[in-house]
Amino acid sequence: MMALLIPTAAPLVRNPADSSPRVNKSTEASVPWFQMIEVDQLRKTYGDLIAVDGVSFTARPGEIFGLLGPNGAGKTTTIGCISGLLEPTAGRVRVMGHDVVREGMAARRALGVVPQEIALYEELSAIDNLKYWGGAQGLRNPLLGARIQTVLDLTGLADRAREPVKRFSGGMKRRLNFACGIVHQPQVLLLDEPTVGVDPQSRMRLLELVRAEAQAGTCVLYTTHYMEEAETLCDRLAIVDRGKVIAAGTLAELRSMLEQRDLLRLAGVFQPAAARAAVAPIDRIEVLQAEENLLVLSLVEASRKLPAIFAALEAAGCEVRGTTLTQPSLESLFIKLTGKELRE
Amino acid sequence: MHFIWISVVKDLRRWRSEPLTLAIWLAIPLILGVLMNVVFGGSGNPAPRGVLLIADEDNTFASKIVAGVFRRDPLDKMLVLERVRREEGRRRIDRGEASAFLVIPAGFAQAVNRGGPFRVQLFTNPSQTILPKVIEDTVSITLDMFGTRRASGAGGPSIGLETTVIPEKKRTKSFAALFFPSMLCMAVWMIANALSGEIWKERALGALRRLAAMPVRMAGFLVGKLVSVALLFAGIAGAGLAAVRWLGGVPVASLPAAILWLMLAGVAFYLLLLLVSMSASTPRGGNMLGNIVMFPLALVGGCFFPFEIMPAWMAAVGRLTPTGWAVSQFSAILDGSVQTAGLTAALAGLVAMSALAFTVTLVRLRRSFLI
Repeated sequence: MMALLIPTAAPLVRNPADSSPRVNKSTEASVPWFQMIEVDQLRKTYGDLIAVDGVSFTARPGEIFGLLGPNGAGKTTTIGCISGLLEPTAGRVRVMGHDVVREGMAARRALGVVPQEIALYEELSAIDNLKYWGGAQGLRNPLLGARIQTVLDLTGLADRAREPVKRFSGGMKRRLNFACGIVHQPQVLLLDEPTVGVDPQSRMRLLELVRAEAQAGTCVLYTTHYMEEAETLCDRLAIVDRGKVIAAGTLAELRSMLEQRDLLRLAGVFQPAAARAAVAPIDRIEVLQAEENLLVLSLVEASRKLPAIFAALEAAGCEVRGTTLTQPSLESLFIKLTGKELRE
Repeated sequence: MHFIWISVVKDLRRWRSEPLTLAIWLAIPLILGVLMNVVFGGSGNPAPRGVLLIADEDNTFASKIVAGVFRRDPLDKMLVLERVRREEGRRRIDRGEASAFLVIPAGFAQAVNRGGPFRVQLFTNPSQTILPKVIEDTVSITLDMFGTRRASGAGGPSIGLETTVIPEKKRTKSFAALFFPSMLCMAVWMIANALSGEIWKERALGALRRLAAMPVRMAGFLVGKLVSVALLFAGIAGAGLAAVRWLGGVPVASLPAAILWLMLAGVAFYLLLLLVSMSASTPRGGNMLGNIVMFPLALVGGCFFPFEIMPAWMAAVGRLTPTGWAVSQFSAILDGSVQTAGLTAALAGLVAMSALAFTVTLVRLRRSFLI
C-alpha cells in the first residue's frame, strides 16, 4: 500500500479567468497550504458497528482527492466527520489547520459541502436557494448577488433561475445542488457522490465544474463508487472498503500495484476447486474469484493465454459461456484487494 | 442576526409559494364555525330573535293573557317562548341562555280581581339591549291593561312589575363572540401542527445536514423558524380579529393584546408540537404523535366547542390544559375582563414555557435529530 500523509510541494493553481476574490482569505495565509484536509486515524463507531476504522489521508490545494468504495464503505461517514456533522469516536480531523471538533466554526468557514441528497428547497427558485445557502455561509450583497450570477452561468441554469426548483429535471437539481456548495467560493470542497442518478450529459458538466474548482485552487474531496469517474477525475485517491483504506496513491501508483495485469472474467459452469487447479499451472496467473458461475482471473497478457485457459478448463469439466477481458483498472485493483467486485 | 433574517425570509417564501396548504388549515375551523352557526346560531331572519322564558305558576286565564301577548305579531317573530319552572328559568337566565325570564306567581288572577297588590317578576339579560326592553315594556303595558299601575314609585293597590337585571358576569355572548376565539385558536393550533411536521421534510431532503456543515448555529435556525411562525400567526390573528370586529360585530377590547397573545400562544404550541414530532423516529410517527397531542388538547381545551357549552366538569378540566388556558386568556382579552397585571403574568408564563421548550427542542435537534 502506498504511504499516506506525505505533503508534496505543489504550486497553488488559480484559474486566470476567475479574478473574483476568495471569500475566506483570512485563514489561507496562516495555514500551511498542504494541510487543507488532514484526516489522521479517523474512527467512527455506532455501538458495535465500525463505520470508519483508522482512515488517514491529506489533501492539498488544487487537488482532487477521491474516496472510492462501494456503498457502506464509510465514505459518507468520513465526509460527515470532516464537515463537523458527526463527531469522530477517535482520531483527528483538521480543515485548514482547524480541528473540526474544537474549532468547528472556523473549520466550517472554509468548507463547501455538496451532499449526496439534493438538499434544496423545491418550493423556492434557484436564486432563492442560492441566496439562502450563500447567506448561511456569510455572503452578503453585492458579493452574494455577483456570485449567484456567476454560479448560475457556470451551471447553465441562468435562464431558469427564477423557476421553482420542483420544475427542474434531476440533472438540473444536481447542478444547482453543486452551485449551492460553491457559491461562497470555499477553499475546501466536499463532494459526496454528486453524480448519483444523473444523465450522462449532466454528469459530464458536473465533472467539468469540479475540475474548474480544483483549477481555481480549491481542495476537492470527492467520494464516488464509479470507477471511471475516479479514474478520469482524481489526482490522488484512496480506495476504501468496510471503513478502512485498502490502497491509496495516484492513479499511476495504484495501477502499478497490478503489475499491468489484465482482468479476465469467465462466465459459465464451474466447479470452483477444479477450476482453480486447472488454471494454476499457467504462467503468472492469479485466481481472484472462483464461484459456480463465475471465474475471475488476474494475469499478464491474457489475450495470448486464452486458448490455454479454455483448454485447461474444458479438461477439468468446466463450461465457459462468456468472456470479458479488462485492461488494468481500479476495478481490477479493488477485486484484487478485496476479492469482490465494486458494485453500486 | 443575518442568518435568522434569511431563514425567516426563506420560510415565508416557501409558505407563500404553497398558499393552498395554509388555506386548508384555515378553512377547517372556518367551515366548522359556519356549520355550527347555521345549526345553532343563525336563523336567517334579519330581525333580532331571542328567547323569553316564562314560569307561569298561576296558570289561569289572566296569566295566560300575559303570556299570550308574545304570541302575537310582530312579537312572535322576535321571540321564542319557552315555559319553564322557576328554578330552571333562573338557572338558564343566569347562564345567559335567554333574553329575559318572566315569573308570574300563583295568585295573579285573584290579585287582578281584587285590584292588587301583587308583583310580577322579570329578570333580564344585560348583554342584550333591545329585546329585554321590548319584553319589559310589553309586560308593563299588558299589566296596565288590567287596570293597574307599575309598582315602582306608586302607592295604593296595584299589580307591579319588578324588573331585575342579572349580574354582568352572567351575561350572554353572541354566537359569534362565543365561537370566534375557539375558531381562531383552532386555526392557529392546526397550522402549528402542520408546520411542526415540516422539520421532517427539511431533514429528509438533507437541508439540516447541509446546514450543520456551515458556519451557523442551529439555535439561529430554530429562532428563524419561530420568528417566521410568529409573523404568520400575527397575520392570521390580525386579519381574523379585524374581520370579526368590523364585519361580525364581535367586541375586541384590546386588538394589540389579542394579537400578541395569540401569536405567542401559537409559537409556544408550535414549539411543543415540534418537540413532540421530533421525538418520533419517523415522519409518520411524528405526524401521528402530533395529532395525538393536538386534537385531544384542542377538543378538551375549548377549541372545537367553547367552554360555555361544555358540561361543567369538562370545562373545568379543559381550562387546566395548556390549550384551555390559552383559549380562556384569549377570550378574556377579547371581552376586556383581564387586568394588565394578570395579562403580564400570563405572558411571562408563556414566554417561560416557550424558553423551556426551545431549549429541549434545540438539544434534541443538535444531538440526534440532524443525523
